[in-house]
Amino acid sequence: MIEIIKNTKIDFIGKRKFSFIFSGILILVGLTAFFLILLGKANLGIDFVGGAMILGNFDEYVSVNDLRSALSAEGFGGADIQSVSGETVPRNSFIIRTKGESDIIGDSLLTDIIASRIKKRFPDNEFHIDSVDDIGGAVGKTLQEQARWAVIFALLGILVYIWIRFDFRFGVAATIATFHDVLAVLGIYFLLHKEISLLLMTALLTLAGYSLTDTVVVYDRIRENLKQFRKRGDFAGTVNASINEVLSRTIITTGTTLLAVLSLLIFGGEVLRDFSLALFFGILVGTYSSVFVASPVIVEWEKRSPRRFK
Amino acid sequence: MRQSQKISLVVVAFLILLSLYGLYPTFVFHSMSYEEKQTLRSENPTRFHSLKNRALRLGLDLKGGMHIVLEVQKPLEGKISDVQDRALEIIRNRVDKIGVAEPLIQKSGTNRIVVDLPGFTDIEQAKKLIGETAQLQFKLLLTPDETQALLAQIDSVLAEQNKKVSPEEPQEGDTTIIEAVEDTSLGSIVDLFESEAPKEESITEEETDFFAEHPFTSLIDETDGVRFYIPKRDFYQAKKYLESSEVQKLIPSDVQIAWATRDSYRGDRAYQSLYFLKKRVELSGEHLIDAQPSFDQFRRPIVRFELDNEGAKRFAALTGANVGKPLAIVLDDRVESAPEIRSRIRKTGQIELGGSGASWDDARLLSVVLKAGALPAKVEIIQNSVIGPSLGQDSINKGKKAVIIGLLAVICFMLFYYRLSGLIADFALLLNFLFIFAFMIVPGINATLTLPGIAGIILTMGISVDSNVLIFERVREELKTGKTIRAAIDAGYSRALLTIIDSHVTTLITALFLFMFGTGPIKGFAVTLSVGVTLSLFTALLITKVIFDMRKKYRTLSI
Repeated sequence: MIEIIKNTKIDFIGKRKFSFIFSGILILVGLTAFFLILLGKANLGIDFVGGAMILGNFDEYVSVNDLRSALSAEGFGGADIQSVSGETVPRNSFIIRTKGESDIIGDSLLTDIIASRIKKRFPDNEFHIDSVDDIGGAVGKTLQEQARWAVIFALLGILVYIWIRFDFRFGVAATIATFHDVLAVLGIYFLLHKEISLLLMTALLTLAGYSLTDTVVVYDRIRENLKQFRKRGDFAGTVNASINEVLSRTIITTGTTLLAVLSLLIFGGEVLRDFSLALFFGILVGTYSSVFVASPVIVEWEKRSPRRFK
Repeated sequence: MRQSQKISLVVVAFLILLSLYGLYPTFVFHSMSYEEKQTLRSENPTRFHSLKNRALRLGLDLKGGMHIVLEVQKPLEGKISDVQDRALEIIRNRVDKIGVAEPLIQKSGTNRIVVDLPGFTDIEQAKKLIGETAQLQFKLLLTPDETQALLAQIDSVLAEQNKKVSPEEPQEGDTTIIEAVEDTSLGSIVDLFESEAPKEESITEEETDFFAEHPFTSLIDETDGVRFYIPKRDFYQAKKYLESSEVQKLIPSDVQIAWATRDSYRGDRAYQSLYFLKKRVELSGEHLIDAQPSFDQFRRPIVRFELDNEGAKRFAALTGANVGKPLAIVLDDRVESAPEIRSRIRKTGQIELGGSGASWDDARLLSVVLKAGALPAKVEIIQNSVIGPSLGQDSINKGKKAVIIGLLAVICFMLFYYRLSGLIADFALLLNFLFIFAFMIVPGINATLTLPGIAGIILTMGISVDSNVLIFERVREELKTGKTIRAAIDAGYSRALLTIIDSHVTTLITALFLFMFGTGPIKGFAVTLSVGVTLSLFTALLITKVIFDMRKKYRTLSI
């Protein structure tokens, strides 16, 4: 039998002051990001605010800087330019993204304009277009709205499930842990100046569901052990013992899921990179919170207003 | 072995075989290169379509294509839903004309239209589909004699051409065998269609000769003298013939051969039909003031229409001179229908819809088409996504790579950490993987695999071993307390069960709402994630349980 974790007796609960401070900071950053998004000041993706994306390739070598200065000269200074490569992607391929431009009308799509300007600037080096994406502001609004409803309903659904499944205190603590995880990843993305896109929202909701898995496993064990509470001794001790008991499971599952997500992050390509990065952070934060947030909150609560356990 | 274990094993074996059988076309089809697919398509279209229809469907983000969202503007008068209907019909007709396979054209909300064109990436042509004003015209048809003569010419030119290509078996015989329905006077009805079973396909030698001699008319299943029905499977062949330069040279400059705007069905057979028109535009749609669906005194659905003064003048002359002849309603060079002119029509008229099967919807549709040329619907492109061939293929390659490496990493880890038990978990994982794909191609479900969908599958692989990890860890704990192997396995499964179900419900809740509110690719993610998680419960609780039950009798447990 190989064991990574052997009969640990780590005092997770005792270290809750540090974890509360750390988590507090995460939540604060996340909330800031959240309100900035609501105010429209965050780095929203083109699927939410409208804009254009072009994937194309030049016949001959062009540096990112050359392309950037050419686009700047044509009035697209804010464009995000990324060099891409892959087995089926031709050499000298770039993804150009620009957002928040006016709506697309009739035959003057934004990507047409950008493509023609590029061709004008590089007359001797042909620019071939592979893929384009033009998203009007109106579509962005619709997608924002759909994302909002998906977030509201999914979170409500999870809350309802928690309330049915757990008693009040466990429910509140699990809710805090879930919001903690989602806000933490949102905050990290905000700090990294990553785009808040539809795919990121999807990743965040997936995390909300997934991070609860760990919490549920820990809670199930705590409840099981609380039935033998008197034998076990104090409440905090029981919680701590429960965390230690399921620790190896927590780490193994986190490990396998991380392996899968890492593979996606490394090999899955450009389109899914930010999505898988969010899942990667989320799984780490989710595991952390099931040990350092969800359970200590219950202990803290119990300490301040003790209940009787049968 | 207990009876229940035997049953479980048989069920599992059956499911595995069924999945492999179901996924065989997917495997064959998706392992072909683009060129191989094109070759098969032209050489053996029946097999191509059969494979394609049974293979796993790929989303636009993987196979490439266009996704366009249009917004219709509120008209000065009238309802916006009318404009939406009209724009939808115009676009549907044009998309059909360029021959995109499996297009998806649907309304979204009250003022939007979503158009998905898989495999189609020509932006310029797509803009024409949408940007140009629709042309609705009324045209007369060739007489049956003229049509017969033209068909005979087409046949002889093509037969000549085919002989050059394959110089065997010279033939004689010269008549075209298209049975004209004698009684066209009944054909005031638009979609007149005698109910007669499609011909059985048994090819005798005599018929082979006929095919060689009449390459074109032999594709025509039947006709009522106005409309020539060609089975959908022969459509591309017929189109190819008609577009060949030899045939194009034959067609007189005042003649137009046009396809119908939509397929017609008889039983489960789809037909496309051909009309032989005179090119001259007798009246154009701008003279049409209004068209409304209605009922006649026998409660049959009809369409009433009204013309402006100029139109009324011309229409009266046209209809007066051509009573008894069919008049084609042509939308963007495709024929909606060709009802017979019953009498002279001036300012207002009505069109009866043929057949007993005509419904209010048919009448509504015809009125929508008639108005297409009258009031140009102002339509704006509000989203235009083109996924080019290299991006789509790149996504497939990278997705495959990520799945395989992720799968291998998880499998190796489980094997290393749990040894024989890990092997069992790996077996369950592979089955889970197989079943996800199999589930997606179940007829009636026909889910679409998207790039985020692939991400969902990868994520599921990580999550799906969780059930087994929970059980294994529990069994280990029970063993440590000194229990026997039998007791430890029983306790492990029963105690972990509730936790396993519990821990996956929240993921399913999220997936449900992502499915409800997500757009195409995101929906794909929700599907694979929820299916994968659900199946992981099944594989952990049923399949590995059976194997573990069998291991109870051993003295040691590799876990």
